[in-house]
Amino acid sequence: MRPPRSRPFPSLPTLAVALAVVLAGCARAGAPASGPSGPTASTTGATFPVTVTDDDGVAVTIDAPPSRIVTFAPSATEIVYALGVGDRLVGVSGPFDDYPPAARRVEEIGGAGEFGVDPNLEKVVSLQPDLFLTIAGGDRWKDRLRDLGVPVFTIDSTDLDDVAHDVETVGRLTGTTDTAAEVASELLSQADQVEQRAAGEPAVSCFFEVFYPPLLTVGPDTFIADLLDRAGCDSVSDHAKADYPTWSVEDLVREDPRVYLVSSESGVTARAVAARPGFGAVGAVAAGRVLLIDSDLVSRPGPRIAAGLKLLAEALHPEAFA
Amino acid sequence: MIAPNRYRRTLLLLAGALAASFLIAVAVGAVWISPWTSVRLIAWKLGISARPSSVPHSAEVILFQLRLPRVALAAVVGAALAASGTVFQGLFRNPLADPAIIGVSSGAALGAIAVIVFVGSGALGAFAVPLAAFAGALLTAFLVYRLARIGPAVHVATLLLAGIAVAAAISSVMSLVMSFSGEQIRDIYAWLLGGLVGQGWQSIGAIVPLVALGVLAAGLTAHDLNLLSLGEERAAQLGVEVDRLKRRSIAVGALLAACAVSMAGVIGFVGLMTPHLLRLFVGADHRRLLPAVLLAGPILLILADLVARTALAPQELPVGVVTALLGAPFFLYLLRREGRRARARA
Repeated sequence: MRPPRSRPFPSLPTLAVALAVVLAGCARAGAPASGPSGPTASTTGATFPVTVTDDDGVAVTIDAPPSRIVTFAPSATEIVYALGVGDRLVGVSGPFDDYPPAARRVEEIGGAGEFGVDPNLEKVVSLQPDLFLTIAGGDRWKDRLRDLGVPVFTIDSTDLDDVAHDVETVGRLTGTTDTAAEVASELLSQADQVEQRAAGEPAVSCFFEVFYPPLLTVGPDTFIADLLDRAGCDSVSDHAKADYPTWSVEDLVREDPRVYLVSSESGVTARAVAARPGFGAVGAVAAGRVLLIDSDLVSRPGPRIAAGLKLLAEALHPEAFA
Repeated sequence: MIAPNRYRRTLLLLAGALAASFLIAVAVGAVWISPWTSVRLIAWKLGISARPSSVPHSAEVILFQLRLPRVALAAVVGAALAASGTVFQGLFRNPLADPAIIGVSSGAALGAIAVIVFVGSGALGAFAVPLAAFAGALLTAFLVYRLARIGPAVHVATLLLAGIAVAAAISSVMSLVMSFSGEQIRDIYAWLLGGLVGQGWQSIGAIVPLVALGVLAAGLTAHDLNLLSLGEERAAQLGVEVDRLKRRSIAVGALLAACAVSMAGVIGFVGLMTPHLLRLFVGADHRRLLPAVLLAGPILLILADLVARTALAPQELPVGVVTALLGAPFFLYLLRREGRRARARA
């Protein structure tokens, strides 16, 4: 996911990729969705040292309960706090690590790379982390960090169930398995309640806007698409070939979805959406069912994901969740 | 010299092709609207007939609010790029000049981005971004011209190198400017990535007078550009105020490129290919070339955008990708041909 460096002209595909990364709040669902791709257990002991294979397929051994944790994704930061070990954080990626608010006071290690999507390696090494938690992508700098003796662990949550699984994995890595089990089961049961109620309602045709213009949306293999599906959304873009495809507004008008969801990252108001050329003819827009969705809740595969699912379900079925 | 009859025939042919590509582009899109429905809807809008009752509202919106403005914008931007390329090729006396290749489009983009970041896109009204793009394009064009010229001539190699160097420098400054941005980063991305998407009739209406002004000014320099092709000294002997002509053509080429960039971002190769292909049919006389490229540039961009809209429908491609796929091989072919010619002369 690292864009190439200097080019004579700004390359639009590169910008688009960077944009997708930024807007998705660093929660890019990876690879084909073949069930939860969570770490496969290969624990050598119930306590420490513990060896777990991460989502990049790397076996990582942690010798003792980590006391200097660095996270390089807002979702990982939220998981660490939810497990009650936030006080062991010595580094986070940057200003997007804003939940819980205490995370903002932790040192930031991001910023290198053309779009600030790489960690600053010198900073990371100087913090002497005994666990570096991150998400998919960035193979080059991950290799560098491993060479430098930093235990890099990748969690790549492909869907909601996988989030719960990854919470438990982080629990094993940090020696907080009991709390992790509680957090994970709470997450799953909350999500299950929402799904049960949404399942009782007919699916609602909907569209999820990531950006405009051009109109960017989410493809079926993304994390957000999984949430939309669980929340009872019949997504206009469920047959897209790409993860963050540019969508035809003509097609949007024809498909005429009943609910129009806008990622809050998109930074617009419902009124601005209605004022765009052609959008007035979309049923959801005409009926005032344009809803801004807090993108932190739906795009971060962390402990708040059940709340994100509820948010989507409420937007899609206001009567059932009233 | 090409016979006037043949020239007239070529123009008529181009006009017919433009009309045809316009109609095809309006008829075809991500959503199918039958030509008959389109005709009836247009007849209704023109007040010729009553609204066809069986046609859904969505077809009307797609046609009049989405597709027609987009095709019209492609036509205006295509004309501006082609005219800009024609003027720059005449000025540099070099067939490889194109507003994107010589860095002028990047300069325009930098101007536009600087205004979005430091002033705000809405602050100075609809003309702030085009004007800043014009300033950026103008400065870049002067700079590249000064750098590329060695003695009396502008060689291919120096022109391309100057263009690449200046564009690279501008690209870095753009990244620098963007790193100062906060909330405006969305406006910048919208502008950089938006291409021909999302522009309504209003913004097209705002840019048309500027393009018309540029085209008019280009027409007024056409005769002098013809004389300039004989060499600066010869042109001066024939009464051309060479320095004034250069300043004027740089301003005209920059204005046209800036109009295109401020509406649709950087789109390469239209300004390169169009004058080139048309010279084969109408000759090198700028007074004949200009009307021809004003018809052909729109055809090229309308069809490129048609491909961008429909190839992966309902997904879309950036139109610049399509023009680059067409234009880059063309550019390489020209480059090799120029190289062989230079060797033959040596």
